[in-house]
Amino acid sequence: MRKLLLIPICFFALAVPVVVLANGVNGGFDRVVSSIEARYHVHADRIPLLGLVNFVARASTNDGVHGMHVAEIEGFETDVNGEELNKLVAEKLGAGWERVIRETSRNGGNQTLIFMRPEGSRMGMFVLDLDGHEMDVVEMSVDPEHLSENIGKYEHHERD
Amino acid sequence: MKSLVAIWVLCVAGLATAIAQSGLPLPSPVEKELAARASNVTEVTLGKNMLAFAAKFLDGKDKDDEATRHLIEGLDGIYVRAYEFDKEGQYSPDDVEKLRSYFGTTDWSSIVRNRDRKSGESTDVMMKMVNGQPHGLFVLDAEPRELNIVLILGPVKMEDLSRLSGIGGLGVLGDLDTDSHGNTNRNKDKDKDKDKTKPPKAKTGGEE
Repeated sequence: MRKLLLIPICFFALAVPVVVLANGVNGGFDRVVSSIEARYHVHADRIPLLGLVNFVARASTNDGVHGMHVAEIEGFETDVNGEELNKLVAEKLGAGWERVIRETSRNGGNQTLIFMRPEGSRMGMFVLDLDGHEMDVVEMSVDPEHLSENIGKYEHHERD
Repeated sequence: MKSLVAIWVLCVAGLATAIAQSGLPLPSPVEKELAARASNVTEVTLGKNMLAFAAKFLDGKDKDDEATRHLIEGLDGIYVRAYEFDKEGQYSPDDVEKLRSYFGTTDWSSIVRNRDRKSGESTDVMMKMVNGQPHGLFVLDAEPRELNIVLILGPVKMEDLSRLSGIGGLGVLGDLDTDSHGNTNRNKDKDKDKDKTKPPKAKTGGEE
């Protein structure tokens, strides 16, 4: 009986720091999401237990992906000015981030922004995608070499 | 007030220097006008640092990937702009000429020049030669409802170009092909009224 009790206790003991750590260092991401909420009068839904998802993602990709932040924002009623959105994101993300891809439609319904920044041997990636009334914002840190190895494994499986 | 102006000027100068140091050009004034008229705009800007990082995504064990990785790592930058328009006539031949002259400075030599008078389509491929070696490639592809600009800076081998066509926005490079003599061709059945020039043998001025 004691052993059975130990399992959930250990689980929570491990899960709580993971969740806290995962939500701790996300300044740029939070600033972007808050600014979008304020500017366009929308509300962002955070993914519950993302810390745990991060933990699993980190383990399953051999540290290929970690520090994942995801926000889903619904209810965009007005057209979004691509130039303005780009400026807002670049400003709130802060120094070090470089925009590598931008796709924008004149009517404002579709906007895609991808920013990257070197983080030592890793690469930070920030992706924002607006499709109609819904926007997805994702930030993560990837290890290109580990991730490439993992993707390679599945590619070889597919060839076989 | 004066100090504020000075700070602002310094910031602008710093930004311009940073962009210039990355090897990639500042967007031409025409591009802003084109972007305002286009229904869809795609921009890809990859500096040397980002390219070096992106190269790590390629599997070093695969022969093809290794060759692509080597090619990407040596580049100074990739600059792609794709403008899609709702209807024809949203840009003028003058706009295309302005773009051509903005990017194709005296270091660049025209190697392919296609004009289709009926449809108004045109393709320009220019190459930058440094010490007799290709050190940059510029492609300007104008279609009635589409305008594509691809600028690749750094040592480029024509035979390796198709390797880059998988990168977002560089699909236009898949249309380029080289024959056994290294001459560049554009694989498009619809090309007519071709006016091709041979690849440059040495550093020359623009040919337009």
